[in-house]
Amino acid sequence: MASSTTANPSAVPAVTANNGSGKALAIGVGGILLTIAGIFVSGGSKVAYAWLTAMTFWTGMALGMLLLIMIHHIFDANWSTIIRRQFEHGVSAFRWLALLFVPLVIASVIDPSVLWKYFDVTFDLASVGGSGTVGEDVLYTKKSGMLNFHFFVGATAISFLGWMFLASRFRRNSFHQDQDGDIKWTRSSRVWSAVGLPFTAVTLSLVVILWVKALDYHWFSTMYGVWYFAECVRGALAIGILIMCWLTTRGDYQGVLTKNHWYSIGMLSFAFTVFWAYVTFSQYFLIWNANIPEETFWYNIREIQASTGEVNQWKWVGMLILFGHFFVPFFGLIGYQAKISPKWMMVMASWIMAIILIDIIYNIWPAKKDELGDPLPFLAIHQLWTLTAVIGVGGICVWAYLKSFPTAKLIPIRDPRIGESLTYHE
Amino acid sequence: MAASTHGIIATFNTAAEIYHAAEKVRDAGFKNWDCITPCPVHGLDGAMGVRRSKVPRFSLAGGGIGFITGMSLIYFTGAVDYPLIVGGKPLFSPMFAFPVAYELTILFCAFATIGGMFILNGLPMHYHPLLKTDHIVRGLDDKFLIVIEASDPKYDAASTKALLESVGGTEITEIES
Repeated sequence: MASSTTANPSAVPAVTANNGSGKALAIGVGGILLTIAGIFVSGGSKVAYAWLTAMTFWTGMALGMLLLIMIHHIFDANWSTIIRRQFEHGVSAFRWLALLFVPLVIASVIDPSVLWKYFDVTFDLASVGGSGTVGEDVLYTKKSGMLNFHFFVGATAISFLGWMFLASRFRRNSFHQDQDGDIKWTRSSRVWSAVGLPFTAVTLSLVVILWVKALDYHWFSTMYGVWYFAECVRGALAIGILIMCWLTTRGDYQGVLTKNHWYSIGMLSFAFTVFWAYVTFSQYFLIWNANIPEETFWYNIREIQASTGEVNQWKWVGMLILFGHFFVPFFGLIGYQAKISPKWMMVMASWIMAIILIDIIYNIWPAKKDELGDPLPFLAIHQLWTLTAVIGVGGICVWAYLKSFPTAKLIPIRDPRIGESLTYHE
Repeated sequence: MAASTHGIIATFNTAAEIYHAAEKVRDAGFKNWDCITPCPVHGLDGAMGVRRSKVPRFSLAGGGIGFITGMSLIYFTGAVDYPLIVGGKPLFSPMFAFPVAYELTILFCAFATIGGMFILNGLPMHYHPLLKTDHIVRGLDDKFLIVIEASDPKYDAASTKALLESVGGTEITEIES
């Protein structure tokens, strides 16, 4: 189809500059200020856990968008061309995420008990229900080549710089192509995707191991990076759906989106629901089956108190994740009618976003233990700071997206696949 | 005994013609009819008023049966037929039954999808009255055909012919069954 290489630019709705980016920034700064105020209520350590939760959540969303852009290019996909531009706006948040991560590192250098205890080999484990120091812990010394401050800072910095660079390539290529329609931009994006996918796969695994998994550095799980990957892509797809809803309601996407696009993004969301379940179950099942104490303790503290053996709140959070993160989206997304209903998809996307946050809380917070080695409860005042931190960091991410939004056309109008995408038929 | 009629066939020259003709046949309320085109015509399924395939219902049922079969298999073999404690694990747990149940879910789902497809599209079919006609050869090459079958409740030789004529069909012929 020769006519499909270019779309009529006049058919693309104009993008308005006044889209509430100021409001998003205000909400973001407000959330951050409230979180800082939380230090005086709950202490620095709990707020650091809350901040790490928000950073892991929103970095995951941005990573998911970056991955979807790269997957789009590497497969030379067609239908996703119309939604790819929104992800290109979304990944502009990386530089702000990098900046917002710095306070955590500084706080942990000043006081390792705040978050990552393995930063300090002299840290006394008796304060969190253990014995001896980190340096005397054989499970630490065996892993110390990776679990140390220098590796942490190096890996985190290289990861953020790499993601920022990749994001800048895809944004530049796509935005320039709007001007001149040159095919070389698509080729460049494809090359950078081929480089970027393995890079991002390795770096996202590294950061989630260093940031989250190493909070309980005794633990082993080879599934952890894959788990985070599934979480990232599910989150980015949910954000994509919410953006599609927003731009349809506002009118921008009227006449651009068809039910085939809804069906396709719905199918991907469904597929990643199953993928997430596969990975998460595999992790649980292998640990359950092998029954090795160095591994099972991670799930044990998420079910019973280490000191008394009583069932704790995390058991019910785990059950909520099992049913809410898998069964609800599985049956909610399985039908055709469900996938082509924007209203229903908005409900499902919002639900998935919320449950991802709960899943990340479930992975991070039980590492915060009292002096008996019991995890702090799920429902407590300190979760308020998780909420403010998520709103704070989220406000900044949304602001970055909205700030980038008016700088380019709604869809990549001169992308070689845009015609196929606009007339896409399942 | 006179040879019974399979239906009426009409020829169209372009994709656009058959597209609009299909819309009118659809609106006239016919159910048992089909379009034969030498190439895919985008949107023709919509113009014909074809509903979405019912194959997914077979898939879902197959998947469900597969899951239950897998769970039951592990329960029966491990906890009923030959109870044996392995690695200190319970005789039955959905944990270790899950990989088997999961695989059987996929396997049975695939069987049901293939089987459901064959059941719904009536394959394998070794003979079809249309293959006797001369039209079909052109229909596989450069002409677009509409066939309205005599089994349709709205079928009436004279009025159906008139309808096909009015929507622009040529070479309208009755087909022997």
